[in-house]
Amino acid sequence: MNHVIEVENLTKIYGRPGAGVLAVDHLNFEVRQGEIFGFLGPNGAGKTTTQRMLTTLLEPSEGRILIHGHELAHDAYPAKRMIGLVPEESNVYTELTAWDNLMFTASLYRVPRAERAARAQELLETFGLWEKRDVKAENFSKGMRRRLSIAMAIIHKPALLFLDEPTPGLDAQSIRSIWELIRRMNAEGTTIFLSTHQIEEANQLCERVAIISHGKVAAIDTPERLKANFRRVQSVEVAFEGEMAEKSPGLESLPGVTTQAKVGDKIRLYTEDPSALLSRLIQYAESHALRVVSLNTLGPSLEDVFLEITGGQVGAVGNGSQEDKPAKRGMGGRK
Amino acid sequence: MNQWIERIKDEWAQAWTVAVKDVRVYYLRPGMIMFGFLMPFFMFFSFSVQRELGAEEGVARLLALTVFFTAGAAGPFIIPTERRIGTYDRLLAAPMSLITLLLGKTAVGAFFAVSVSVIALLAGLLIFGTTIAQPWLLAAGILLGALSFSTLGLAFGSIPTTNPGDVQMPSTLLRWGLLFISGVFIPLSQMAPAARAVAYLSPLTYAQDLMNQAVLGSGLIDPWLDLAVLSMSAVVFMWPSVWLHRRARVLGR
Ligand SMILES: Nc1ncnc2c1ncn2[C@@H]1O[C@H](COP(=O)(O)OP(=O)(O)OP(=O)(O)O)[C@@H](O)[C@H]1O
Ligand SMILES: [Mg+2]
Repeated sequence: MNHVIEVENLTKIYGRPGAGVLAVDHLNFEVRQGEIFGFLGPNGAGKTTTQRMLTTLLEPSEGRILIHGHELAHDAYPAKRMIGLVPEESNVYTELTAWDNLMFTASLYRVPRAERAARAQELLETFGLWEKRDVKAENFSKGMRRRLSIAMAIIHKPALLFLDEPTPGLDAQSIRSIWELIRRMNAEGTTIFLSTHQIEEANQLCERVAIISHGKVAAIDTPERLKANFRRVQSVEVAFEGEMAEKSPGLESLPGVTTQAKVGDKIRLYTEDPSALLSRLIQYAESHALRVVSLNTLGPSLEDVFLEITGGQVGAVGNGSQEDKPAKRGMGGRK
Repeated sequence: MNQWIERIKDEWAQAWTVAVKDVRVYYLRPGMIMFGFLMPFFMFFSFSVQRELGAEEGVARLLALTVFFTAGAAGPFIIPTERRIGTYDRLLAAPMSLITLLLGKTAVGAFFAVSVSVIALLAGLLIFGTTIAQPWLLAAGILLGALSFSTLGLAFGSIPTTNPGDVQMPSTLLRWGLLFISGVFIPLSQMAPAARAVAYLSPLTYAQDLMNQAVLGSGLIDPWLDLAVLSMSAVVFMWPSVWLHRRARVLGR
């Protein structure tokens, strides 16, 4: 059995069937042993709903969930023992110190008594909270609470870890340390189910990504293959000398251009055939007496794929969508 | 077989873990102090001051009130609060049965009720020089009463909501209702037969009768029946909690 999670026709309707909200709509997917599986979707796509069903917190309206081949609806106990859960909101006890929060979860998950202190110390050191171990969590910053809630979720060394949007609202350094930790846990054998609406996060971490939209799986594959499947969202970026707004009319009507977007001081032209467009651009520059400052061809980014699939407008994201940029942007959706 | 013993030990330890954590986290919260600590004393003084009341009678009544109000205050406050903060999810997702979680939560209310009752009892003993006719019966009564009324409070706390205000209101209303039909302010022996028949439906009647028996040495009902009713009601009040928790899992709150 190399599938840790198998989901068949998983459906959730909040409220009365027929009249309720269809939040998750007949999902089918598997999560493989040892992978980092990304669950990527815009706000309201059904990520949290799915994750809550997978972690026994919510009863599916329809469908089956198998964890390590055991049906969750029949006996959740074995699954609960191996699952770690980091929910959307940091759920720490603000009245307790960091140390006591960890001791509480260790006891709740029956970590052997002799190991509790050592594990808590190791986690607090990893998360940079060791100096603050005797401080009540009410005095913690958002980032510290988040790190503490992750530490609480992994003190029993879960074989399968669920994270629901672990990084929004954190600074770049906290994000990096959380990503680092996810990679390390995965290297040590933990299977990771990562819900996120941050494309860069999925791109950086995940071996496979399911893109979900309106409660359905729209695509599921490795980030590289997802990008390769979307040749039509390749693009060429060009910058001309001087004020380009007035000086470059009619660019979007060049043959082969599907969409045009302004990206900082550059213009991005989406096309299925970048090399043909390159030569046309040179001709255009010559005929308009414009000096080209820079000219690049770009493969599709996961962001473009995501927007294409979820119905957002390609190129509408605005400032820069290159994958070397820090991943601080979320994709707005329906909320 | 061995596996089952291990499992039961684990679940027992988990219930204890939940209870100890709740006591530490919530005992000084305004919601707990207000509904759990001040309320019984407030009820006691507002209905007992003008009347001629013997010290023993007063202590028996105060004990019934503290057990009743304090035990029932924890559930409706703690569970919706934890649902709102999200910490309840951690408890629900943990590898333990729902019953274990509910037992832990019951123990919290019972613990508060026993503590406040001990304070009330000490006040009675030290300030008014009350004597206790049957101390062991009193201990059993306080404990079983605390458990019974804690599970009653838990049933309200289990209503799927993230706002304690939503459930404190109905739970307070029900408890006031029970208070006035239960022979706390009017002794059972002075009630009209119809009123007494209604009083027998309320577990508080048996708690009050037990306190009378234990403190004054004169109850109207067989104390064994009192104890039996209190234990049974503790079990029966568990059911709505289980059912409501299942509902919450469907509703997603
Ligand atoms: N308890 C609930 N009752 C009714 N509707 C709900 C409930 N929870 C979620 N929904 C609805 O279900 C849909 C999916 O919500 P869900 O929280 O799963 O999305 P999400 O992908 O996690 O979004 P986000 O990125 O904003 O966290 C939304 O339309 C939401 O309004
Ligand atoms: Mg969500």
